[in-house]
Amino acid sequence: MPEWGGGRTTLEMIVQELQHPVRLDESFERRVMVRVRRLHAERRSRGWVAVASRVTHRPGWAAALAASVVAVVTLGLIKSRPESARDSGGVGMAPVQFVLVAPNARSVAVVGDFNNWGLNDSALVATNHQGVWSVTAPVPAGVHRYAFLVNGKQWVADPSAPRSTDDDFGMPSSALVVEDSTR
Amino acid sequence: MNRSARGLAAMILAAAAIVPAHAQDPRIENRLDAPSRIAISALLDSARAQGIPVEPLMQKMYEGLAVGADGPRIVSAVRNLKVEMATVHRALGTVATADEIKAAASAVHAGVPAVELGKIKKQSGLRRSLTLPFTVLADIVSRGVPVEAGVNAIRSLVGAGAKDADINDFQRNVSGDIEKGAPPAAAAETRAKAVPAGKPESTKPEQDDH
Repeated sequence: MPEWGGGRTTLEMIVQELQHPVRLDESFERRVMVRVRRLHAERRSRGWVAVASRVTHRPGWAAALAASVVAVVTLGLIKSRPESARDSGGVGMAPVQFVLVAPNARSVAVVGDFNNWGLNDSALVATNHQGVWSVTAPVPAGVHRYAFLVNGKQWVADPSAPRSTDDDFGMPSSALVVEDSTR
Repeated sequence: MNRSARGLAAMILAAAAIVPAHAQDPRIENRLDAPSRIAISALLDSARAQGIPVEPLMQKMYEGLAVGADGPRIVSAVRNLKVEMATVHRALGTVATADEIKAAASAVHAGVPAVELGKIKKQSGLRRSLTLPFTVLADIVSRGVPVEAGVNAIRSLVGAGAKDADINDFQRNVSGDIEKGAPPAAAAETRAKAVPAGKPESTKPEQDDH
């Protein structure tokens, strides 16, 4: 079971949340009863009372529903926590133009850690302007590694960008630092 | 279904929802052999427990898959990156951002001692992001600038309050000089002196003018 802050397991945190009583706005019950009485008065002859009573006489389901909501919210809060070092806050995106001069290329695409290295056809396809291939795309703020994929098989680093030294797989790549334009 | 059974069902559903996403990632399924998947999952869990950013490790795995590397090679690359990030995480401290750790790991990969990166971080203070300076340091060292000369150049730029745009220019100029035949160390030292000084960053707390 994964652990989060303070060594508590997620399950323990969920259990603790579920143990908290569900507190509703104090006016909630009053407003509900006003509506129920109004409905009761208006629809008495049509037998709609059963609808209102079905809600009020099933506290088990209401508790289960409330518990589910609490669990979902709790999970959302847990999952949204930064899981590592101080978050860079790099939630902004900025348009980046990638350009490669390759007059003899038949196709050029851009793959990098901002598009999962082109897995599942996510590569950015560049367009050819007389041998100057380019594509502009929004890239998340932060530091990235990328490469041009020429003719679908040849990896080429961007000659105008800093080199990336992490060539563990023998393929050249480049580094890109995108500033958060929202800051 | 009684109340306790419903509660149990809700708990099971909740627990199922927190299964690590990478364990079910369709980008991994059928692309990586089972032992490698398990090894990488363990590395990710370990990194998470140490407070190391996990996303760069995931991306290293995707990169390996994209180039068609086999499982053991991908595991080795992910493990090496995790070790490098753990090293820089210790050197930079908890104030470092995930991007700084990622960029610093590249510099370590290029041969820069993590302790030198820690000194630059200490010198720069909290507000100045070192993501680009570390990225440029990795670049110029990989182009032949000796580690000491590269560290000195970046330290002087950061200490002088150079902006990211200035550091980008520095990188372009140094790489251009080297391509034209300049000795890498001389190129770095000379170009670092040419960068206009900005407002130096300080590790001291700001004085209140009021």
